[in-house]
Amino acid sequence: MRTPLPIARILRVKALLLPVFAAALLAGLAWGSGGGGPGALWRSIAGLPLEDSVLADIFWKIRLPRVLLAALTGAVLSLGGLVFQALLRNPLAEPYILGISGGAAIGAILGILAGLPRFPWGSLAAFAGAMGTVGLLALFSSWRTGLGKDALLLSGVMINAFCGAVILFLISVTSDVRLFNILSWLMGDLSLAAMEQVALLAAVTAVSAAALFFLSHGMNLILLGRDTALSLGVRLEALTWVLLAVTSLMVGVSVSLCGLLGFVGLVMPHLMRLLFGPDHRVLVPACVLGGGAYMIFCDLLARILPRQGEMPVGVVTALIGAPAFIFLLRRAAR
Amino acid sequence: MRGRLRPALLPLALGLLVLLGAGKPEAGERRVVFDQLGRRLEVPADPRRVVALAESVTEIVFAVGRGERLVGTTRFADHPPEALRIPRVGTYIQLDIERIAALRPELCIGTRDGNPRAAVERLEALGIPVYVTHPMGLSAMLASIREIGRLLNAEGRAEELAGDLERRIARVAARAQAQGRRPRVFFQIGVDPVVSAGRGTFLHELIETAGGENAAGEAEGYPQYGAEHLVRLAPEVVVITTMTQGADFEAVRRAWGRFPNIPAVRDGRVHVVDAAVFNRPAPRLVDGLETLARLVHPAAASP
Repeated sequence: MRTPLPIARILRVKALLLPVFAAALLAGLAWGSGGGGPGALWRSIAGLPLEDSVLADIFWKIRLPRVLLAALTGAVLSLGGLVFQALLRNPLAEPYILGISGGAAIGAILGILAGLPRFPWGSLAAFAGAMGTVGLLALFSSWRTGLGKDALLLSGVMINAFCGAVILFLISVTSDVRLFNILSWLMGDLSLAAMEQVALLAAVTAVSAAALFFLSHGMNLILLGRDTALSLGVRLEALTWVLLAVTSLMVGVSVSLCGLLGFVGLVMPHLMRLLFGPDHRVLVPACVLGGGAYMIFCDLLARILPRQGEMPVGVVTALIGAPAFIFLLRRAAR
Repeated sequence: MRGRLRPALLPLALGLLVLLGAGKPEAGERRVVFDQLGRRLEVPADPRRVVALAESVTEIVFAVGRGERLVGTTRFADHPPEALRIPRVGTYIQLDIERIAALRPELCIGTRDGNPRAAVERLEALGIPVYVTHPMGLSAMLASIREIGRLLNAEGRAEELAGDLERRIARVAARAQAQGRRPRVFFQIGVDPVVSAGRGTFLHELIETAGGENAAGEAEGYPQYGAEHLVRLAPEVVVITTMTQGADFEAVRRAWGRFPNIPAVRDGRVHVVDAAVFNRPAPRLVDGLETLARLVHPAAASP
């Protein structure tokens, strides 16, 4: 039953997406409030002297970590969307809508309020929060109320709303200055990215993406339906839990570092599926590159759209993603 | 291939350069100071390019006569008017690190009260020293004036200013002491929701120094109040800070007017003051203190 790995197609998809990713990376490095532009970036890459020597610092010490963190978190959230869409067999599922990100945020905020250092305890607390939400979702799905696949998505939406309320509750009971920082982080904030954070998320993403690629054939089979998958010898229970744990881990770490970025996991997997078909063995690498490029692009918009300062990148992802959700809902209804 | 390796090498090389530069004594005289958080940092002996990371810092730098050294300031820095001409570097809560770096400051002066720690760390990773003030009250505010004076080689002017402010504070405190009664003062920050300042805030200290009793004194930090609670507190004086005078202000006054049983409303002692004066731990805070003293003890304040 297992078809051979479509190596040629994977390579073709990579060859198509790599230039896009590289272009996003360069654009993300070139523009920003501190000046620069493609010309100066090119001179800096080529090792030519820059008129304004501080630009080298801006390119490589400020923007590079930020752009890399954006790429990684975009990859993580896209993969998260891909996994949940397969598991729930619902095209509208993604970590933010299902409340997984919200659960992670609760964990991270509790960590901050308990005075734990953000690294690594904040990330672990976020992972625990994400796992908590996943556990709730699994509990709801085991009730088998016969409400169909949308029931689980709706439970997720409610969990998300509940998480939002818990977050606001936590913020209102703590009248302290840390609140300001929590608020800007909640809206999704990449402005203070540092290389240590990039390294942490890179390690987690590499392991998770490899695991998901390894399990991608299983995800294909899940899409055939529960009974078919079981009859084909898929150990559905075990596969589901491994997928959930991997996704919670990477989403948890991403949320603890970058805050809540909604709808990324919705937009990217769909676009990739539209372009490259439903095979998860192709979609996993496609989501990594495409999601990364998309997030860099969103972050760039967040930086250059406001005349003064910048807006939280979560605003941009939601502005693009929420209409996309409605669009997909309409298509799904047809 | 060579081009792709560069990005990794460049920061390294630059870091080395910075390290070497710092080690050489002739690379501009430097000295070691401790900021108000007790952090050790190395700063230029005479910094010419300074970025203020908070509105209060901007006001202090101008007050010690070094405003011309500011090459960057935060979005709402509007005092003195000269500050409006300085380039902006984001808000004090969300600092624009890139823009700060592009201004090539020799020194940044920030505040513990709002500047995210991560932002300070990012700036220092770029080799920009950040002096962090921690103005938790009137005396700490005076201390930060003296410290900023020392940092910018304006000790004489800073000392003169701080001494003058100290005398003014002492005068207010002495007059307040002479008054036996301490009216209950409710300090309202913000219109909707109603937020006040409890114990541990510098507004609390201001009210006490001005001879009032903080009606919100049973709470800590910045508590939020509903209408019921306000009636129960029964303040004798209400002081409201507002950014936008006019319509907003009239609406707040009317909101209080609904409760004529509150002593402050009954006696017409609901006042509006300039938020910028009371929100920023800068020299103008003492103007605020004197204003507050006049509102709390109108009879005593008139000479």
